[in-house]
Amino acid sequence: MSDAAAPILSVRALSRRFGGLQALGGVDLEVARGEFRAIIGPNGAGKSTFFNTITGLIRPDGGRVAFAGRDVTCMAPDDLVRAGMGRTFQITSVFADLSALENVQVALLAQARQSWRIWPRAGAMNAERAAELLALVGLAGSAARHAGTLAHGDQKRLELAIALAGEPTLLLLDEPTAGMAAQERIESISLVHRVALQLGVSCVFTEHDMAVVFAVATRITVLHQGLVLAEGTPAEVRANPQVQQVYLGESVIAEGVGT
Amino acid sequence: MSRLRAIAAAAVLVLAALPAALSDFWIFIAIEVIAFALYAVSFNVLLGYGGMLSFGHAAFFGVGAYAGALVVKKAGLAPEAAFALVPLAAMAAAAGVAAVVGFFSVRRSGIYFGMLTFAFQMLLYTIALKATGLTGGDDGITGLKPPGALARPAVYYFFAITMVAPALYVLYRLVNSPFGITLRALKANPRRVQYVGVDVRSHQLATFVISGAFAGLAGAVFALSSGNVFPAWLNWTASATPIVMAVLGGVSTFLGPALGAAVYVVLEVVISGRTEYWPLVMGTIILALVLLMPAGLTGLWRRKGTS
Ligand SMILES: Nc1ncnc2c1ncn2[C@@H]1O[C@H](COP(=O)(O)OP(=O)(O)OP(=O)(O)O)[C@@H](O)[C@H]1O
Ligand SMILES: [Mg+2]
Repeated sequence: MSDAAAPILSVRALSRRFGGLQALGGVDLEVARGEFRAIIGPNGAGKSTFFNTITGLIRPDGGRVAFAGRDVTCMAPDDLVRAGMGRTFQITSVFADLSALENVQVALLAQARQSWRIWPRAGAMNAERAAELLALVGLAGSAARHAGTLAHGDQKRLELAIALAGEPTLLLLDEPTAGMAAQERIESISLVHRVALQLGVSCVFTEHDMAVVFAVATRITVLHQGLVLAEGTPAEVRANPQVQQVYLGESVIAEGVGT
Repeated sequence: MSRLRAIAAAAVLVLAALPAALSDFWIFIAIEVIAFALYAVSFNVLLGYGGMLSFGHAAFFGVGAYAGALVVKKAGLAPEAAFALVPLAAMAAAAGVAAVVGFFSVRRSGIYFGMLTFAFQMLLYTIALKATGLTGGDDGITGLKPPGALARPAVYYFFAITMVAPALYVLYRLVNSPFGITLRALKANPRRVQYVGVDVRSHQLATFVISGAFAGLAGAVFALSSGNVFPAWLNWTASATPIVMAVLGGVSTFLGPALGAAVYVVLEVVISGRTEYWPLVMGTIILALVLLMPAGLTGLWRRKGTS
């Protein structure tokens, strides 16, 4: 079962094919507890597919996934979430018809195993904790707003609050800053970073903006055509000639140096 | 809040005084409204709250009606005892059938979910039609009569209310409960709700069974008022009724479908009494409604209320 010494996430030879396309060609990856791991790679590298196979959204063709020492390969998403693996989606995914507060309440109710209670009024249940989580991600003023009417960046933050409500030990964030303005991105990832440190949550995130990556990542894995091209500390990855080759705009990588 | 109380109190008074003011024929219609209000609201828990459009909901209304009729006619019990068993038997039978239908149907979503409910309903319709020994086949089951004073419409009317009002209250609590808010979240985004740790299929199945059980109760309440049950109640065309009622009243409010049921039933009586073109009139009304006020009658009211 759960083993305190085991890495929070350990992936072996994970593969997945879509028709003729090998989206994941046998990926090994190990994430230690407390890490803030970035997964980078060009469009179509397989980053989202990697997240989706780990979190049970799509089945891997082969390979194993261990979460905190426990084999969770092919486990159903809801079981994985209850086991402590939270995630967000590249295309923001919230409950558009519900208020921001209700969005978080739904997640808290599920976390507290109360989703099946049919008699009490849900309105006030966990409302305080939900408000706290909204405040934590900077949405205190938007609790009553319908999630669908929030600005894109705020929806991303709301989705983070939803994921955090599940009290995850591992958080998988697929492009947490996509669609935001440059300045907003750094603020957002710093927020995630702060919260993760505060709550002791390990984190794996994918990201295209190198400034964002270098601002917070403790280690970086580079995916390319479904394979791990390189892995190491930010300095190691930056110095890697293969990585520079994949990222034809080398300056993108170099730019990150300053921040 | 006090305004709401006043409206509720007025509604209770009107409902209590109604039988005194109406002829037996109109009391009978009022009972139909009451039964179909529950039917439409239970259906809308599935559609409006759960996002599941069932094309076969008449199956559960019909199963409840047949279960009630069979208890009265064939269980060999004293009339009072049999009658007391009717609500329970109707709900249990409808819930049981809904559990089987739902088990398979919630495995698909959207139009495929609808087609599965549709297919099961055709199976059940065939059973109602062909299992002559049990169901009376084409002739249905007729001559149902509640015992004693309950046979009088003005009395049965209150019985119908004592069945339907608590049922509506249970459903009201349900949609406002953690189960209900989770259901709304499921409708809004099934994938996300799975990723907060909710077992989507179980949640949908439970909703389906509860909705089916209350549709069954509505069927039995109506059957004992009308005195008969026919296979046509399970026919696929019958499944359009709760859809139209819900849309007419408004799927985004709890009581909207009940209002839709009232308007539908009364319009049907009034219009089909005057012209054979009732379907034409109804079609026109639905067209106007969907094009001009997609939120239904309650949507119109709410818009006025807020502006
Ligand atoms: N469900 C699917 N069916 C078919 N092909 C898919 C599917 N999902 C992903 N792919 C393909 O697999 C490859 C990897 O896609 P993936 O989304 O994992 O890349 P990514 O690294 O997340 O890219 P991006 O940076 O654009 O998000 C792409 O070529 C994509 O078109
Ligand atoms: Mg992606």
